[in-house]
Amino acid sequence: MMDQLPQILEALIFISVEPLTPDKLAEVLPDAPPEEIAAALQALVAAYEDSDRAIRLVPTAGGYVFSTKPQFDPPVRRLLQIERRKKLSGQALETLSAVAYHQPVTQAEIASIRGVDSSYSLHTLLENKLIKIVGRKEAPGRPLLYKTTEKFLAHFGLNALEDLPSAEELKKLMQEENA
Amino acid sequence: MADEIDPDVPSAEAESAPPDAAAPESEAASTPHAVTENAPEAPAAFPQPADIGYQIKLGMFEGPLDLLLFLIKKKKIDIQDIPIAVITGEYLEYLNAKEKINLDREAEFLLMAALLIYIKSQILLPREQPVEPDIDPRKELVDRLQDYQQIKAVVGVLREREEEQAQIWRRAALTAPLPEQDLDLIEVSLFDLAESFFAMMKRKQGENLQIIQGKKLSMGDKMSEIVAVLKVRDHIDFLEYLGSHDSLEEALLAFFCLLELLKARVVVAIQEQLFHTIKVWLRKDAPPEKEQE
Repeated sequence: MMDQLPQILEALIFISVEPLTPDKLAEVLPDAPPEEIAAALQALVAAYEDSDRAIRLVPTAGGYVFSTKPQFDPPVRRLLQIERRKKLSGQALETLSAVAYHQPVTQAEIASIRGVDSSYSLHTLLENKLIKIVGRKEAPGRPLLYKTTEKFLAHFGLNALEDLPSAEELKKLMQEENA
Repeated sequence: MADEIDPDVPSAEAESAPPDAAAPESEAASTPHAVTENAPEAPAAFPQPADIGYQIKLGMFEGPLDLLLFLIKKKKIDIQDIPIAVITGEYLEYLNAKEKINLDREAEFLLMAALLIYIKSQILLPREQPVEPDIDPRKELVDRLQDYQQIKAVVGVLREREEEQAQIWRRAALTAPLPEQDLDLIEVSLFDLAESFFAMMKRKQGENLQIIQGKKLSMGDKMSEIVAVLKVRDHIDFLEYLGSHDSLEEALLAFFCLLELLKARVVVAIQEQLFHTIKVWLRKDAPPEKEQE
């Protein structure tokens, strides 16, 4: 059965709504060595990328998921009857960025970074499950600590937090902007 | 808002806190209590949208840091060497341009004004003895501005990525990418707790389950047993024999076996009178046992 490993993986990812993680695959396919699964996944990603299919296989939020290619956005939106996709507001994005780069972080810390109260944005982000509460800080008042979620990664097409630009890369970006 | 006087705020924040010192000469002077008025709101978990107003009221600025960065860029100022007097003047001009200050929405802008004036006073005022001469009173503000600048750069990156992702569809997206109404995450973490609790209970239940080993019964064995009994006892009382089994299943099996043996003409069953018990004999001319199995 393992000589069909690429096809098996394809089938499993196809029926998965959430990105299918290598851990989960290893659980489902205990007989397949993880290296073989990893290699087969890479080959699948490449095969879809090279094909002229409308679908691609994308490593997302630590797992693998099928998605449409960008040029098929208009017909898909017509099918789903979605005029425009909801986007995050400037404040929500600022708050989210502060959480992403300073996590785990408290509301007061975010407010200090942004210079404005961020409770409303935090609430919105929590509602949309882009951030989550991970506990309380051992500090006066034991304030709640926030972190970004897997959904945050998926929303921005990131595979891991490491995919976000590093401090140096950001510095370069800022210099370009100022120049 | 008013986080800078919130006792919960980490120490770095507390240093920039003395708006009171600067208040007498600042725009905030007319309403020095404004900041404290808002303080009780801050610790509340999720107060009403206090920061939503900025986008409408102060146009393009997300907050005082945003405005400051804008002024610094406009004046082509080196962020590491901000002429505080110039920038404070510019900043206050912006605030003065407003006819009325909405305290709910603009308290943070006032707080920043107070901080700027405080830093200015730190630089101007002669000191009796130089306290920590190495420390530039502007340093903390510069650090904050740079941190904020970084956040703004991240916002740019995220916005771009969001734009890209908006054209890509996954199957999950069919169930609304950013649902309007969703479960509160605070509750979800409670659900998580409940879920793991139930999972644990389930495991516990599994532990308490005891498997009762059923007797393994087969027709062949039973038939041989019946034949063996008949060989020893000459005949058996049908009802008595069935009653001697300790489970219904086994008794039923014995009954079927007797029927089978009758059919195979190994035994003979005779009821001497109506309503009398049925007696079972081994047939004298019975075929060898093996054949029925």
